[in-house]
Amino acid sequence: MIRFLLKGLFHDRSRSRLPIIVVAIGVMLAVFMNAYITGFMGDTIEMNARFTHGHLKVMTRAYAENEGQVPNDLALTEVSALKEELSGRFPELDWAARIQFGGLVDVPDEFGETRSQGPAAGMGIDLLSPDSREAGRLNIQKSIVRGRIVQNAGEALLAEQFSRKLGVDPGDEVTLIGSTMHGSMSMYNFRVAGTVSFGVEALDRGTIIVDIEDARNALDMYDAAGELIGLFETGFYDDERALEIARAFNTPFEEDKDEYAPVMKTLTQQGSMGQLVKMLDVWGIYIIAIFIVAMALVLWNAGLLGGLRRYGEFGVRLAMGEEKNHLYRTLIYESIFIGIAGAFIGTAIGLFFAALVQKYGINISGLMEGSAMMYPSAIRTRITTTDYYIGFIPGLFATIIGTMLAGIGIYRRKTSQLFKELEA
Amino acid sequence: MMINLPEMKTITKKIIIIILFSSFAWFTYGQPDANGILHQIDENLSSENRIFESSMTIHGRRASRTITSRSYVEGDKKSFTEYLSPPREQGTKMLKLENQLWIYSPSTDRTIQISGHMLRQSVMGSDLSYEDMMDDRKLTETYNAVVSGSEEFDGRTTWILELTARVDDVAYATRKLWVDKERFVPLKEELFAKSGQLLKRSVLSDVVQIEGRWFPKTIVYKDMLKQGDGTEFKVTDIKFNQDIPDYIFTKASLKM
Amino acid sequence: MKTAFKLAYRNLIGAGLRTWLNVIVLSFSFVVIIWLKGILMGWDYQAKSDMTNWEIGGGQYWHESYDPYDPFTLAESHSIIPQQFSDEIEQGDMVPVLMVQGTIYPQGRMQSITIKGIDPDQDLFLLPTHQLDTATDAVPAIIGAAMAESLQLDRSDHVTLRWRDARGTFDATDIVITDIFSSNVPSVEAAQVYIPLAILREMTMMQGEATLLTFRDPEAERPAVQGWVHKPKEVLTASVDRMIKTKTAGQSVFYTILLLLAMLAIFDTQVLSIFRRQKEIGTYIALGYTRREVVGLFTVEGAMHSIFAAVVGALYGLPFLAWQAEVGWTIPMDAGDFGMAMAQTLYPVYSAGLVISTVLIVVVITTVVSYWPSRKIAKMNPTEALRGRIQ
Repeated sequence: MIRFLLKGLFHDRSRSRLPIIVVAIGVMLAVFMNAYITGFMGDTIEMNARFTHGHLKVMTRAYAENEGQVPNDLALTEVSALKEELSGRFPELDWAARIQFGGLVDVPDEFGETRSQGPAAGMGIDLLSPDSREAGRLNIQKSIVRGRIVQNAGEALLAEQFSRKLGVDPGDEVTLIGSTMHGSMSMYNFRVAGTVSFGVEALDRGTIIVDIEDARNALDMYDAAGELIGLFETGFYDDERALEIARAFNTPFEEDKDEYAPVMKTLTQQGSMGQLVKMLDVWGIYIIAIFIVAMALVLWNAGLLGGLRRYGEFGVRLAMGEEKNHLYRTLIYESIFIGIAGAFIGTAIGLFFAALVQKYGINISGLMEGSAMMYPSAIRTRITTTDYYIGFIPGLFATIIGTMLAGIGIYRRKTSQLFKELEA
Repeated sequence: MMINLPEMKTITKKIIIIILFSSFAWFTYGQPDANGILHQIDENLSSENRIFESSMTIHGRRASRTITSRSYVEGDKKSFTEYLSPPREQGTKMLKLENQLWIYSPSTDRTIQISGHMLRQSVMGSDLSYEDMMDDRKLTETYNAVVSGSEEFDGRTTWILELTARVDDVAYATRKLWVDKERFVPLKEELFAKSGQLLKRSVLSDVVQIEGRWFPKTIVYKDMLKQGDGTEFKVTDIKFNQDIPDYIFTKASLKM
Repeated sequence: MKTAFKLAYRNLIGAGLRTWLNVIVLSFSFVVIIWLKGILMGWDYQAKSDMTNWEIGGGQYWHESYDPYDPFTLAESHSIIPQQFSDEIEQGDMVPVLMVQGTIYPQGRMQSITIKGIDPDQDLFLLPTHQLDTATDAVPAIIGAAMAESLQLDRSDHVTLRWRDARGTFDATDIVITDIFSSNVPSVEAAQVYIPLAILREMTMMQGEATLLTFRDPEAERPAVQGWVHKPKEVLTASVDRMIKTKTAGQSVFYTILLLLAMLAIFDTQVLSIFRRQKEIGTYIALGYTRREVVGLFTVEGAMHSIFAAVVGALYGLPFLAWQAEVGWTIPMDAGDFGMAMAQTLYPVYSAGLVISTVLIVVVITTVVSYWPSRKIAKMNPTEALRGRIQ
């Protein structure tokens, strides 16, 4: 019988085409929507992860306690060994050392005397290792206003506004006056490679970004770093796994009283990120629930419409003596096929679009004045396993329920009136 | 000017008390005049010029570091310091002329004038700020000194001098000095805020006689508001009245 | 036209469940769009009013050398308050704040901070400055919750504060924390201590001086004053506008998808109506209706879904939205991460403009989507249609 029904569906396009299209569009929207909400909601979290917290972060205990003051005298030492250990033990994360520092950027005139000077907040990140992903992570390339990204040792990026204030152009040399890990004054020359825009006043006013090796040289932090951040290779935060990793890492140090012993913190253990993650999860579920309900209603309606479309056909079939029960059953079977086919097609197309938007993003930079590091120029979707099945819930069930309800009408048809209807 | 009676009475009382006490003190200790003591210290410690090598040990929270340097000093307005070790600091030079200070760093080949807020930075991570080094006015020019007592300190009897600022642009409103009665070497100094809060303390020791002068070779300097063990400054070699060529005290010598 | 509406109304009611399913989906769009936009507007409103209440009032005059991002400028950014403001200050409509760099030493650690001198009697800011009016053994001070937490300071704790007076002489004293406030505005909490203005002026020998002058009334004409820079409110809140813009862009994709879904339902319904009611269409034409009129009839019917949806949406949406405005939407966001004002609980704000524009947009879109399949009618052969022949 199944074959017969399928044949019917294939041959009578009005029976199959429009309902499948409707289901597919609905499912596609649902899948895309879910990926979009996950991406949109997760974006805030991922941005925090990329810029400050990492998915996991290793610091010394003393540094962690005074993190707000960026106390480089309390930084991690022997970082390369630690990084190697982390990469070996937790290869699902990409580990990167970072140094934050404060100082003055001093611009010389032609005689080497100070021409202008300004307080700076610095960030030393791995820009030059061939396998480093830091530049992409911080969206640096897209935020370049003038010049180019750091390509050689001894180069620096300045916040655009800061460079204007100092009167510096790409290619100029500036001196960073900072304080070493031991508190000595230090001076280090950088050539300005380019300028970037952050979109946040506090950062635009005085930020300098340099390669971490330069920062180490400048601040006498040989093989040291304020923090080691780890980001999941998947690109997305996984709280459960992160907590597991942090626990595994921290346990051996529990007995250790050394205030310079490393400590690992997950994203959710830093600041109020934990609550934020929880909240966004809950709200993501609410929004998707609203949407799924709406879609179920639409598909239900589509089921009803499908039933009506075939009003005449049912009349003929009943007139020919087909059992009402049989008719109803075949109707349900058909709707299952339609639901499955529509959900498949819809999920496939939805995933395709979601993948596109995950890769390229929806460009919203037109709404902003130029692109900035702290403001994503594009909104991205994020495909999770949920997306592979979420469309089937409304796609299949709503279609079946719609058909079931519409089909009840069959039982209300009176055989005596059938011929009258058919005559018309 | 009219002075009413009760006021007149208190003033008289005060004068009597002052006379009584000061004469009492004079007779008991044979206490000299405070400015005289400061003058004696100057006689003992200052010289036309000097060249010395020193090491500075900074007790950080995590580790201690020692920095060595060679300094040329002429009078109290000019000084030139070259850092000798550790390698990172080697070649860094510092020139002070009057109230200006320049630092030269060989790695950047830049000479930067330290001014304004930068003066408040610590010198090489120590408890000393550049500003602490900069104030070269004579204590007798900026402070009124009185001898407030006598005390045993570190096995020596000392005069306690209390200094109160008489100009309003000094960093510390009052200072307290413990001066060796025989050798006229300060053995301890405390620096106070206007409110009287103790801010910094230095303890001087290893007093030796060099070329007829008594000289403290070690100074431990500590910021009292901060935790930590302070900074230890040791003179390892010192020569007075040397021939220091003039070019040393020029900005050009920084780059040499 | 009136008949068209009547007919459309009867047809829709007659269709029963089908109509209501469409209407419910469409009404979701209404409520969700208004709600989400309301939250953004509420955020915008709240961020700005928090800034107003805690930081910027109706606008400010900054000392010309003052730069909030360069603490080193503080040493130079203070001067005597211009004479012309004395009335306004007297009336409490302008609050001068003097800012001086200082260092505090909680538990022997050292932290640079800004000391802000403010009048304990001011009522322009929500800062609990009346707590500065307490007689204590030390200088009374209030600090923000964020700083209290990072420095592990509590109410009635004493901590040493060191600063330099106008001539550079060090001074130090103990302050006692008389109150800790929580403000949602990180920039009034981070690394700063509030003490009575008179005491700070005396401490620093800066009698009659100020760094910032905040006024209450944003409307009044503000003349340029020598040595001071006028910062109107719009300039000071520009960062909020930018944040809201980004979020709006993100949300609009969501609305679009929701609307697309609703329109899918409307479209499907319209296609079916036209397919099933050919006889009816034929009859209309036979009765002398022009094709355009018939198209209009069906379009009105489709569009009427959105009117129904507005009514249904209002039925459950009004109580829901009102309830939301009442209890707000609590978010545990660490506002400090963005360095801008953001409350723990956002209360959505709905403007008439928001409601009207949302209804209009949805009605217009529904009308367009209803018209689209109806155009087919214009191509029908009326006689065939009358006979019910499927075309």
